Parts: sequence; structure tokens; C-alpha cells
Amino acid sequence: MNRNSLRARVTAFYVSMLALALAVFSFAVYGGVSAFLTNSMERTLMHTAESIVADYLVPLNAKGDAWFLSEMSESYPAGISDPFVRVSQGGKILYESGDMREPLVRVSKLSLPSDSASVKTLRRATAETGQSLMIYTLAYASPRGSPIWVETGANMEPLFHLLHSLFLILLVVTPAILVGAAVGGHLLMAGPLRPVVALTEQAEHIGRKELGERLPIIHSGDELERLSLALNRMIERLEEALAHNQRFSADASHELRTPLTIIRGELESLLEIPELQTQAVEGISSALEESDRMSRIVNNLLTISRLDGGGERIEMLPVELTSILKITLDHMSLLADEKGIIITCEAPAPVWVSGDAMRLKQVIVNLIDNAIKYTPEGGSILVRLVAHEEQAILTVTDTGIGIPAASLPFVFNRFYRTDKARSRESGGTGLGLAIVKAICTAHQAAVSIESAENKGAILRVQLPLLHLSPREVSELQSKLPEASAPKEHLASARLSQ
Amino acid sequence: MRILVIEDEQKVSALVKRGLTAERYAVDTTADGLEGLEFFEAYPYDLLILDLMLPRLPGSEVLQRVRRKNDHVPILILTAKDSIDDKVKLFELGADDYLTKPFAFAELLVRVKALLRRGPVNRSSTMRIGDLELDRLTQQVKRGGRRVELTAKEYSLLEYLMQNPERVLSRNMIIEHVWDQSFDGITNIVDVYVRHLRTKVDEGHPFKLIRTVRGTGYMIRRGMES
Repeated sequence: MNRNSLRARVTAFYVSMLALALAVFSFAVYGGVSAFLTNSMERTLMHTAESIVADYLVPLNAKGDAWFLSEMSESYPAGISDPFVRVSQGGKILYESGDMREPLVRVSKLSLPSDSASVKTLRRATAETGQSLMIYTLAYASPRGSPIWVETGANMEPLFHLLHSLFLILLVVTPAILVGAAVGGHLLMAGPLRPVVALTEQAEHIGRKELGERLPIIHSGDELERLSLALNRMIERLEEALAHNQRFSADASHELRTPLTIIRGELESLLEIPELQTQAVEGISSALEESDRMSRIVNNLLTISRLDGGGERIEMLPVELTSILKITLDHMSLLADEKGIIITCEAPAPVWVSGDAMRLKQVIVNLIDNAIKYTPEGGSILVRLVAHEEQAILTVTDTGIGIPAASLPFVFNRFYRTDKARSRESGGTGLGLAIVKAICTAHQAAVSIESAENKGAILRVQLPLLHLSPREVSELQSKLPEASAPKEHLASARLSQ
Repeated sequence: MRILVIEDEQKVSALVKRGLTAERYAVDTTADGLEGLEFFEAYPYDLLILDLMLPRLPGSEVLQRVRRKNDHVPILILTAKDSIDDKVKLFELGADDYLTKPFAFAELLVRVKALLRRGPVNRSSTMRIGDLELDRLTQQVKRGGRRVELTAKEYSLLEYLMQNPERVLSRNMIIEHVWDQSFDGITNIVDVYVRHLRTKVDEGHPFKLIRTVRGTGYMIRRGMES
């Protein structure tokens, strides 16, 4: 899942808001319950102490000790009474309910309050058996002399236990709610976002293939409908622009080629005139050469326009690059020999890619030609073709004049020349690398250059690798003679029948 | 031999007519598809040269109608389009060959000759030009009786030149025959190979068989006749 997707971000946002709210809520509940329980315990203790004073200590003088003891042991029976009570005077115990049982809470060893203590105190103590206790002490100014101390106490363990349970519940339930909300929200978000996903997929599909298709219109009346309509209008304008470009290419092709044919023909027939002056022959021949170059430029330009505009359908067939590379290098070896350039080829294994064999060969031809052109006599060129991590990587490294850093971004542009005089002299059209770029783009391949002035250049083409089973490879190889003959050969094949 | 040229560009058809007439063909021209079809029905032509963009009736339609009536006449298409789809479609419609504009007249002539002699083709295994001999079976080349060692490309180049003696072959034609269209634009490769071939074939011989025709291309000449 993409962490940056709208769906993930919206889910993450509201889940964190919910987490914050739940955290605040949990603290409030815990704090509230804790305060309430403590308060009510305190109130119970105070109330018990006050009722002992009012019910049993005030009438003590009138009714006597025996009555007091029997009433107390009836109301606060020993070992059972909760809270436990203890009534003492001057360090002498008048009554105590004693240790609580089940569970055992030993309170009998707690020290007695001294007469100097304040009239009302609430304190915490620890029983001998380890439990936390809350003890309320109330002094009753007895008419019989020293004050009578009434102590009421309760075991705080059940309260702590309750709070602990509450804590555990909150600890488990809060994350569970968050997870549930996240999953539910994420699923819920899929609904409204589904049209967006469909829109994106269709847009990607259109981007890769034909512009003739349109995006699905979302009839929701909301922002998404507007978005889909706007995108469709944009695609329409793109399609128009492309169609215009392609029409222009076709028109330009016809319009330029016909006059070029005529210029050529007229010049050729002029050359047929017998006893033409040498100067005239020179001039006409030179004009013929230039018309030839112009034809090549027109052809190359149209090739690029068609590749760029998607006007030329690239037939993606399995192609074995290594053999094409070796054959091409063989065909071009004399060009390198002429300049005393040594070409080394490192292509250890067959490399299969998907593409148009003729066009891919053109890439190799143009790259090698380019390297030979810019490498001085006696230099060397290294050509490598390897399969590396899902990619076929072709590199052409030369020891040539290199390209200044400032020019690097432009070398794949049409008609870009780093050294105008030199490259024109070598008769190029200035379109070799632009064609390489256009073919690579049409093949979803990347082409890049590394170079420094006088340090040579490395041109690199990266094509998606095609994985074939050994059986597919042998099937393809059995069909190879047919597959490797480009359709352009149809004409010449017929001609030489 | 009578040839019909259907081409709406007056200057192009005039050039073609002038060149072919000089080669002793009888040439009729028309600028209109429908009229071309009428011409074709009226006279027995040996070859049809057809432009694709025509007024009144497009070239592809003319091609189809001619094929419906006559299976045999060779048809050469002149076209300004050169995408693969277009070419394949042309052959499916029954064209025998096509030529993309702009073309060298020499190229047109070679194709016309090839189309007209289709049928009884000289299949003999040995070709001779002057004292140069090329054996297609053994792929051996001799000049004046002495073996000339050639690489595979040099051999193909020489074979192509010898198939068309006394004809100027443009660099494009040579590229398309000996290499393929991937090498389009790298025409200096032809110059380099011809130079090497020339060294092997002509060096030490007073008559140079392989000639450069500036601005156009190369040709091989019959040495003994001149």
C-alpha cells in the first residue's frame, strides 16, 4: 500500500485524531472513576465514624460500657465489619472490630493515635499483611476526660483492583477501537475513491497507448465529475495537437519530397549534357550532394516526428540484441579500421528484449557511428551489452574528444552540434542521437550520456529485459531467419528474384 | 516497351519521361487517376509507374482496379510515404515494387529494368564484366584470372554493382541492398567499403572498373568495350 495515497493519508489523519480523543477520554474516565471511588470511600469512613460518635459515644455515659460494647459488636462485628472500627481512649482500646478476614487484613497492630493528634485526620497506612489502608480518625471530646478516638478504616485493595481492571480495559479497548476504525475507514474510503482509482488507471492506459480513448465520466455531480470532464478535455486537446503534428509530418513529407525529387532529377539530367564545363560539373555535383543530404535530413526528421507523435506503431516482438550487436559491429568494422580505431565488444550472453529489431539496430548503428566520428585516429571504443537487474544495458564508451558539461543536456536534441565545424565536415545530419532518443522513448527505454571534455564519452541505453523460457527461446530461434528480415527487405527481395 | 506514368506533379513526370525516353522506352504520361485508367485500358502497357496522391482517383484505387483486370502488368509505385504500414499495404494491393521520393533517376531505372525483365532472369552462376569474374556458387572473384580475396560485405557490394553494369547506383540503393535501412544516414559506410573494394579490384590494373559518379553514387563499367 502506498503510504502517500490519499486513502492512507485520510485514514491516518482521522485515526490519529481519534487516538487523541480516545486518550483524553481514557484519562478522564480513569481519573474520574479513581476520584469518585476514593471520595466515596472517604465519605463512608467519615460517615461511619460520625455515626459511632453520635449513636454510641454520646449516650455512653448514660447507658454504660456494657451497652456500648454489645451495641458496637452487633453493629460492627469483629472480623466481619468493613470498614473496620477501633475506639480508644488514652491509649486504651474501648472496642475494635479487629483483623478483617477473607482476605486477611491485619489491622490490630496499627499504632493508636496519641492525644496530641488533630481532631479529624485522614491517613494512609499499610496493614501488616501488606494491603494499603485508608484510615479516618475522629476525636470525640468525652465528658469523662481525655478524648475518645474513633478510627474507621478500609482496605484500598479492591479499589486499586477495580482501577487496574479499568486501566487494562482501556488499554485493550482503545487500540482495538483504533484498529477497527482504521480498517473500517480504509474500506469505507475505497468507495468514494474507487472512481479516482479507475480514472487513474484509465489515464495511465491512455498515456501508454492510444489517445483515442476517453476517461470514464463520474456522474457524481461533485469534484470528481469536474475532474474527469477536465481531464477528458485535456486529452482531447492533446489528441488534436498530436493529430495536427502527424498531419503536418505527412504533409511536410509529401511537400518536401516532391520538390527534392525534381531538384535531383533536374540536376541529374543536367549532368548528362555532353562536354559540360568542369566548373559546371563541380557545381551541379555539389548541389546533388546537398540535395542528397537534405533528403536524408527530411527522412530522419520525419522518422523522429513519427516516433515522437506515436504515428509509427512500434511492433514489440522478442528480439535478441547480442546477435544484432555483433552483426552490426561486423558490418561497421571497416569504418573503424579506416581511422585505426579498435572496437572491443563485450557481450557474453544472449540478451532478449521486446522491440522492433530494425529500429533497435538503428540505435546501435547510430551510437557506433557517433563514437567513431568523435574518436580521433588510433583511439578505441568499448561496446558492452549485459543483462543486469531486469534491464538490458548497452554502453558505448569511446576515447574521443568528449563533450563539455554545458552541452551534455542538449546532445539528444535535434540538430544540436557541440562543434559545428567538425561535425558538418563529417557529413552528418545532426539527427543521429535525436533518432536514438526517439527510438528509445518509443521502446520505454532510457538513454543517457556521461562525458567530460577530452575524456571520451559513455552512452548508455537501458531497455526492459524480456524473460523467456528456454523453450520459447528455441522456438524463436527456429523462426529466426524470417524474424530477422525486416519488412523493408520486401522490396529488394522482390527486386532480386 | 511501353510505359505509362501516372503522376500529378508535372515536373516529376516530365523528368521520368525524359529519362526513360533516353533509354528508348515509349512513355505516356497523365496527371489524373481516372484518365490513367482509361489510358491503361486503351493500350497494352508493359509497365505502370503510379503516384499515390492523384486527383479524381487515388493511386491505391487505380492499383486495385488495374489488378482486377490485369494480373500480369508490373506496377511500380512512387510514394512520398515510407512508413512500414504503407509499404505492406501496397504489396497487399498488388504493387510489385515501390520507390520513395526523392529518388535518384538511376534508382528508378534499375527498378524499371528489373520489373521488365522479371520472368526470364539470367540465373547463370558466373557474372563477367571485362576481365572481372564473379562466381555466385563458390563466391569467388577473379580479375584477369587472379583470385581477389573479398570480405562478405565487399562481395555483396561487388555482386550488386555487377548485376547492374553501366548503371549508377546511389548510396541509398547500395545501403538498402547490401546493408539495411538501419544504416540510413550513415552513407559514408558505402564510401569506405567502395574504397576498399576498389583497392582490391582495380589496383594494379590500368582500367578502373569501379567509378564514382559525384553527387549520385557508384557504377561499374565494362572495361574492354570502352
